[in-house]
Amino acid sequence: MNLLFDGSTTLMRGQGVTGSAGLSNAGRLLIVAIGLQVALALPSFIALMFDDRLLNGITVWSKPLKFQTSLTVMLGTVLLLLPLIETTVREGRGVWLACLVGCVTASGEVLYITLQAARGRASHFNGETPIEALAYGLMGIAAVFLVLSVLAIGLFLLFRPAPDAPSGLRLGGAFGLILGSLLTLVTALALGSGRIAGPGHWVGGLPTDAGGLFLLGWSRSGGDLRVPHFFATHIMQALPIAGLFLDLLAPRLVAAGLVAAGTLSVAVVAATFAQAVAGRPFF
Amino acid sequence: MTFATLFSLANTAALGGWLLLVFLPRWRRLIGVLRFGLIFGLALTYTVLIFVYFFRIEGAGFGSIAQVRAIFMSDAGLVAGWIHYLAFDLVVGSWIALEADKRGYHRLLQAPILAATFLFGPFGLLLFYLTRATEMALSARKA
Repeated sequence: MNLLFDGSTTLMRGQGVTGSAGLSNAGRLLIVAIGLQVALALPSFIALMFDDRLLNGITVWSKPLKFQTSLTVMLGTVLLLLPLIETTVREGRGVWLACLVGCVTASGEVLYITLQAARGRASHFNGETPIEALAYGLMGIAAVFLVLSVLAIGLFLLFRPAPDAPSGLRLGGAFGLILGSLLTLVTALALGSGRIAGPGHWVGGLPTDAGGLFLLGWSRSGGDLRVPHFFATHIMQALPIAGLFLDLLAPRLVAAGLVAAGTLSVAVVAATFAQAVAGRPFF
Repeated sequence: MTFATLFSLANTAALGGWLLLVFLPRWRRLIGVLRFGLIFGLALTYTVLIFVYFFRIEGAGFGSIAQVRAIFMSDAGLVAGWIHYLAFDLVVGSWIALEADKRGYHRLLQAPILAATFLFGPFGLLLFYLTRATEMALSARKA
């Protein structure tokens, strides 16, 4: 590789091997994992534009793109929050291990989801062949580890913050990751268990993604357990953004503002969960 | 777009890349466009073809001559496979060009090696390896 890309002709001078030298090992891991997500998203997006295969009534590439986008955002959130952890802890083994677990599981999930889309087959809730059943089981385990790795980063952020970290972003980040991961665990387990309306995320309504909500594909004819899963997972972004704004606009109200934003987030997840279980569409 | 059109497009693009490599000066920008523009584009096209068509080719695989034949019997597999050649040959060609520059080989001597790589990939690489090995052995003796 050195012979091929020795840097003498690269277009991205100074951003090669040396570009991330200032980052911790954990940060570098996250960057590579984000790169992999983006690298899969680009051809998936082009494929989406002309592949005529459908799954549940919509293009097979819708799902990989949603996961690639969501995981890019998630890994990016962790990468951006990492500097708010105290230096020695950030460089230490715990943060590194949490990031490694997160990166490996996120990459594994999205690789399998993309592969199954290329094969024109379902990834989740697919036990038609022994290998697919095994892969679906492994995805479930990986998803739990992925969520737990985010929870760990949230706890590091809460208990071992950098002394100069802005309090709104730090606390918003910490509680965003903690609440987001815990509620994701609850909603995704409820979704995956099949206890609510049999295997699948639909509750009542038509078991198809055709005619679903724009971009997100949520059912408009019945309940859809992906709705609370979505809101739970993206608390990981909502609270740090709320914290960031509180730092900028109302630094004295950080605590109160975050309690309000956190309560609102939990309420939205609870409400959309109840709505889905009741078999009613989000919108 | 039909597979025949895509095939011609990729062929023309790759030919353009080879002409740049053989005839134009080794401007840094030019090599950059070749590697991160043209070769990137070929790699992306290949990947999309694989994403969309590979698993639909009946009996496709890499494990036996029959499986590989099945890939190349389909238009999608054939075009994807051809773009694979085009992309990787250009990667090898640009490596040969830069390595030859570094060792001070005259552009007139580089031309036949690059042409061989363009037409028969591994043959050109073999020519370059053996040329370089000979050159290294002889210059070591002289020194």
